[in-house]
Amino acid sequence: MKTKSGLWNSILENRVIYLMLLPGLFFLVVFALYPISWIMKNMFYHYTSYGDYDFIGLQNFAKLVTDSMFWNAVLNTVIYAIGKMVLTIPIAFLLAYVLNTKFRGRMIFRTVFFMPTIISVSVMSMVFYLIFNPYNGTVNQMLMQLGLIARPINWFDGKMSMTTVLLVAIWGAVGNYMIYFLSGLQTIPRDVYESAEIDGATGWAKLRYITIPMMAPITQMVVMLALTQAFKDYENILVLTGGGPNGKTEVLYLYIYRLLFPMGDAGGATVLQYGYGSAVSFATAVLVGVITIFYLRWSKRMSETY
Amino acid sequence: MDPKAKKFTKKTVLYVTLAICAVVTIYPVFYALVGGLKTNMEMLAGGTLLPKEPQFQNYKTVWEKANFAQYTMNSLFMCFFSTLGAVIISALTAYCLERRKFPGRKVIYSLYMATMFIALGSVTLRPLYLLAVKVNLHNTLWPVILINIGAQGTNIFLITKFISGLPKELDEAAMLDGCGPFRIFWNVLLPLLKPIMAVVALFQFRHTWNDYITSSVFTMTQPQLRPLTVGVVQLKYGASAAAEWHLMMAGAAISILPMLLIYCICNKYFMTGVVDGSVKG
Repeated sequence: MKTKSGLWNSILENRVIYLMLLPGLFFLVVFALYPISWIMKNMFYHYTSYGDYDFIGLQNFAKLVTDSMFWNAVLNTVIYAIGKMVLTIPIAFLLAYVLNTKFRGRMIFRTVFFMPTIISVSVMSMVFYLIFNPYNGTVNQMLMQLGLIARPINWFDGKMSMTTVLLVAIWGAVGNYMIYFLSGLQTIPRDVYESAEIDGATGWAKLRYITIPMMAPITQMVVMLALTQAFKDYENILVLTGGGPNGKTEVLYLYIYRLLFPMGDAGGATVLQYGYGSAVSFATAVLVGVITIFYLRWSKRMSETY
Repeated sequence: MDPKAKKFTKKTVLYVTLAICAVVTIYPVFYALVGGLKTNMEMLAGGTLLPKEPQFQNYKTVWEKANFAQYTMNSLFMCFFSTLGAVIISALTAYCLERRKFPGRKVIYSLYMATMFIALGSVTLRPLYLLAVKVNLHNTLWPVILINIGAQGTNIFLITKFISGLPKELDEAAMLDGCGPFRIFWNVLLPLLKPIMAVVALFQFRHTWNDYITSSVFTMTQPQLRPLTVGVVQLKYGASAAAEWHLMMAGAAISILPMLLIYCICNKYFMTGVVDGSVKG
């Protein structure tokens, strides 16, 4: 049993360790714990850039329930996250599957497909802004030359803007998840395939009955990572569409950003809502957390059933 | 079809599909790099792949008139200190958490883990901005550097995993020789951590070089402090942006090229690092 002085002694004994931990703890406290506590406190206040500062209890959350912009952002976040996942993961898996076979040049292809992940999202979003430009962007020009469309598509109007945002997001994300799948594929032992071949399994059968089932655990992890990442994305949308037109591409973190900071071309609030912004961001963190836990539970049950 | 021909068609289909994917992947980057060499007329008309005559003066214009020399310096300054800080802090912390037993270890460890899962996104920038104003650092790049270093949860995790793979006898032998914890860390373990530190340094460099939101918030009223990413995006918001696509692309190219170069040399580290950092627990 440890007495109080025993605890004190072991703290003293380890004083050098605490000293070594100090720089890291400073960053942990100032850049992670302090902002969280700031939000947890100010979500109960009416606090704006005008200098108001009044305790209002749960009124910010009451406002949130009836805030149509918030629910619009929730809807868009879900559309964006699911859309990005549903499109990115199969492409990433297929690329990994193909690149896991032996052929000349596969390392070059791997390097190429992973390349988008090392380039700045904001800079590339600006480049894509020009590429998707309705009047003289490459995408429309190519589609028209191929005869696929008669008139230029406005990639940034209310109907198309989310699609455009998703296309750009997929471009940036596929390489990352491809690498996860590749590392997973490499853990499948060769002799499993060999014994299946002896039993007469063809390429398709091997994919269906060996590769896909054996990749289930890593796929669960990738879906989890992709989901949480997709909820966090907003830099790309900020630069590409600014959340517009008419909030059609506004996701939760972009909405929060707009409540708390004035913004370049897309405006942003004239009065910055620190208190309400805190409430929205707390709600968002809870929402993302709940969805993540829900997914973890569900995928666990799935893997127990199969 | 005889098996040989079948194999040949299979190979062709494989290569053609991969080549199409590769072109789609490379094209946007190529567009930026080459677009910076076109005249504005060529950019606005579109339809050409290569410039008729490379316009190297675009880069000169951006570098001198659009302040990109300054932006590049700012980016390098930030990356240097952010990378240095991240490497030191994450290695120190990982060593203590992995190799030492002391009161409070579990709590600290789980706090670091928690920071990897909680995403408060853009909102944390407001309290940190107000804090920077309070300590009078908001007119410098230091808050951006410090925020980019951040809590280091993922990097600490990465190094912790690496250290746990090193034999404990090393520490014990050094302890018997009378080394204190810091000497053990500095003289015994640190030299062995080089491979993983390289990964952490690369990730941190990329993270800081590509950071946009934090820098843009903290340099909103300080144009001379902007890093490249913010400088590039500002070209979009600028008054004459509609007319100056060639300069926008020259700016984008200046910000992309250094990262591409590093990637060409170290792409293996990037790819293995991604995998090592993901398999949690």
